[in-house]
Amino acid sequence: MWFKKGSAALGDFEQLVLFGVLRLGEDAYGAAIRQEIHQRSGRDVSINAVYTTLDRLENKGLLRSWIGEPTAQRGGRRRKFYALRPSGVTALRQAYHTLRSMADGLEGRLETK
Amino acid sequence: MTPPARSARSGEAPPGLATRLLGWRLAPEWRDFVMGDLEEEFHARAIVSRAAARRWYWRQAVRCVAAPPPRQALVQSGDPADIFHRSPRGPFMRTLASDLRYAVRVLLRTPSFALAVIAVLALGIGANTAIFSIVNTVLLRPLPFQQSERLVRLFHVPPPDAFPGMKTFSVSAANFYDWKAGARLFEAMAIYRFRPFVITSNGHADEIMAVGAGADFFEIIGTQPALGRTFQREEDSPGRGHVVILSDGFWKRQFGGAPDVIGRTLQLDGEPYTIVGVMPRRFTVKAWGATSTDLWVPLAYTEQQRAVRENHNAQVVARLKPGVTIEQAIAEMQQISRTLEAEHPKENAGWGATVIPLQELIVGDIRLSLVVLLAAVGLVLLIACANVGNLLFARALARRKEIAIRSALGAARSRVFQQLLVEALALAAAGGALGLLLARVVLSTGRALLAQQIPRADELSIDTRVMLFALAASIVTGVLSGALPALRAGRTDLNETLKEGGRNDSAVGVRTRRLLIAGEVALSVVLLAGAGVMLRTLVALRSVDAGFDPHNVLTMRVSLPEKRYDTPQKSRAFFEAALSRIRALPGVVSAGGVDDLPMLGGSVQPIVLEGRPELLPRDQPTVEVRKVSPDYFKAMGIPVIRGRDVSDSDTEAMLVSRAAAKLLWKDEDPVGKRVTLPLESRMVLKQVVGIVGDVKQGELSGPTQASVYELTRSENVRSLTLVMRTAVPPSTVAKAAADVIRSMDADQPVEDIRTMNEVVDETLTSQRFSALLLAVFAAVALVLASVGIYSVLSYIVRGRSREIGIRSALGARTVDVVRMVIIEGMTPAVAGIAAGVVAALLAGRLLEKLLFGVSAHDPFTLFAVAGGLALVALAASIVPAWRASRVDPLIVLRGE
Repeated sequence: MWFKKGSAALGDFEQLVLFGVLRLGEDAYGAAIRQEIHQRSGRDVSINAVYTTLDRLENKGLLRSWIGEPTAQRGGRRRKFYALRPSGVTALRQAYHTLRSMADGLEGRLETK
Repeated sequence: MTPPARSARSGEAPPGLATRLLGWRLAPEWRDFVMGDLEEEFHARAIVSRAAARRWYWRQAVRCVAAPPPRQALVQSGDPADIFHRSPRGPFMRTLASDLRYAVRVLLRTPSFALAVIAVLALGIGANTAIFSIVNTVLLRPLPFQQSERLVRLFHVPPPDAFPGMKTFSVSAANFYDWKAGARLFEAMAIYRFRPFVITSNGHADEIMAVGAGADFFEIIGTQPALGRTFQREEDSPGRGHVVILSDGFWKRQFGGAPDVIGRTLQLDGEPYTIVGVMPRRFTVKAWGATSTDLWVPLAYTEQQRAVRENHNAQVVARLKPGVTIEQAIAEMQQISRTLEAEHPKENAGWGATVIPLQELIVGDIRLSLVVLLAAVGLVLLIACANVGNLLFARALARRKEIAIRSALGAARSRVFQQLLVEALALAAAGGALGLLLARVVLSTGRALLAQQIPRADELSIDTRVMLFALAASIVTGVLSGALPALRAGRTDLNETLKEGGRNDSAVGVRTRRLLIAGEVALSVVLLAGAGVMLRTLVALRSVDAGFDPHNVLTMRVSLPEKRYDTPQKSRAFFEAALSRIRALPGVVSAGGVDDLPMLGGSVQPIVLEGRPELLPRDQPTVEVRKVSPDYFKAMGIPVIRGRDVSDSDTEAMLVSRAAAKLLWKDEDPVGKRVTLPLESRMVLKQVVGIVGDVKQGELSGPTQASVYELTRSENVRSLTLVMRTAVPPSTVAKAAADVIRSMDADQPVEDIRTMNEVVDETLTSQRFSALLLAVFAAVALVLASVGIYSVLSYIVRGRSREIGIRSALGARTVDVVRMVIIEGMTPAVAGIAAGVVAALLAGRLLEKLLFGVSAHDPFTLFAVAGGLALVALAASIVPAWRASRVDPLIVLRGE
């Protein structure tokens, strides 16, 4: 499929989710990713949006997932964990580079410094 | 299992309702993760603030419910076998798609069944769509004029004693101008008259109908010309009126649609008229003569013509002011009429006025017929529904094992119901699509035929409203035919069905199906009874004694142009010569002429007997006045009862009909008496030379009018319909007769060549149209009902073959078996007939106004229909009965 060629352009929210997964490492599951995005970007997104995006990224082959054990603080429900596949890392790197190179030399005008 | 991290628990549970909502909405494969995450975070937040945590949880839950994560590919396999295993709580729309796919696949497995059902539904929906599109065009769509709901026509209401049965009458010029001056509730009113012209172009003469339009005529209708302009006010005066506006049709026919036609001239009655405008195609509404003519010229009345009050021969169209109701307008016109009666008692005594919406006038007569037809075709669809319902029912029962297994595996009854209903809807949708196509084909092929039967047929089309109707009809059909079988199938007793093992032979749901049969039969009775009385109306009308013999009679109209035939002598010489030549043609027995043929209406005038005073118009007796040539009565087959026919040597002679003789002279002998027709001349006395038989001058169903026939020397009769009785089929004489006219005057057109039978038939078109369609619908209903009875009985017989076998083995005779099956079939049929007769009696009221010579409750028709249907039901039962009698007990019992 077309995205397997590595030409996938990631959406804005997809990037946030992938960064969240990367940042959380072994502990990347829905609620944790949601909180990570909330804390770092200030965007209070809904859990369904996170899972919809995770599911889509998994279908694109950028993520893999596994299911954990049930825990009591979850009412005896299981967690679904996600991790980046190599293609996911590539896609994220590309997105990051794209942003970087587009923003290069503009820091002053964007008043980010 | 990892030990529960108690520290993170707040001891507070998340909101229950929100959790339940989530559980209902989320796909099972997501439920754990999403709900777990939410609960986890809820507990974490509840430590800080329980209320805030609850608010947060609710917010998240609502967003999840609004847009849950998608189902995963594995479960979206669409595997048909999986269909009933799915979560019974799956949202309707999501399961709908897969139900639909499954339905199509199942139906494709039995294409003959699917085709049969689709064909029946296509017929039903197609017929409904076709009739509805006629209703839509004729009754629902506004006329193609600007704000057409405010367009009205004004008429006189004649004195009822002098004009029995007439509700409206043409308007006299002087009265019109007084109306116009006095009325306040009308934006404008315009007078117009039909006016024939002889048009000459390239040395060729043609008769053409034009409208003489008074001032404001085009402004009132409000349609802009396609080219040029409409008339200016000052052109409606004598001497200024030599301008002409063309219809779209005439423009294309005569000028090939040339855009530079404005400014050219037309020769009308030998005088030049300058073309100033061309009206667009949509301006032509066939059912309204004022717009469907070829040409318009200014009316251009002289002061003298405007002052004529006694001669009622003009038409009036008007536009109401916004917000004015018809009732208000009528009241105002009545008020004005009373004033005019007082001012001009001699001419206006007894003459009222009324206002009728243009739309009403154009479609009024056909409305009831169309409503009846729509109701009838709706019944056909109901019957089709019952039939298809029956088929689906049989099918659902044949599949009840499959359904039972699904139920046993956890499919909710609602899911089974939905699946079967979707199947019915899929069939109905296919039937609807095909039906729409069918309606299109029928309408486009039948357009020419329809044009004679209904107004505005040329506008017929399938628009959005018709499409929506077809869609609605399909959905209703699908639900009606699918709901009962689907409900019934959902009720299947699991244990019983599964216990039956491989057997599939006991008759289940027989009661429901009997009910469907009875309903079908009842509806058929209603339709057949309706068609029956309509056909009897037609027969009754056709057998009305019109007073003449229409067989072997050819008619044709010849209108001489005024320019060349400006004296009575010239016209009379032409017609006398033409008739004597026609009489000499081989095959022609006799020939004569009349100004207006029977049944087509004509002049109605007051008549004054010699020696009696002329009364007020209200009290003066009126008669139909026709101008005839000698031999007209012989050619038409109207008997001369007393005295003699008029002859060429007469000067001012008159024949009176039997009814006129009775009306005017009671028991005296009218022959030799003299009368005047004041509208023509108060001076000329006409002598009655004989009495002739009565003739229907108007509708066949109408009363017989008193008529007089004059042979006049003093009036210039330029338009005459020649009538010839032939010894050979009349149409074979047509060419020779027309050639006679042409040989006398190459420029003289001959119009309306048709046999008298055709003339009579054309007056019956609307009745024939309704009767024909009703008969077709009834025939379809009959076929559907008999197929229904047959299929149900066959099914019952198959289901009871074991019982029948046992009975035969125990000594039942063939006769007993046959009788049993026939009674089985006839019971619901007879119940249906009884219910149908009651329904037909109730529905008869709708038809009453369309009937003539027969009651809507005509016992003969009802008996015939009931008996006929009983016979059909019997016939439909015979094959299954015969099959039952051939059941071999050995084979059946061995099947145990």
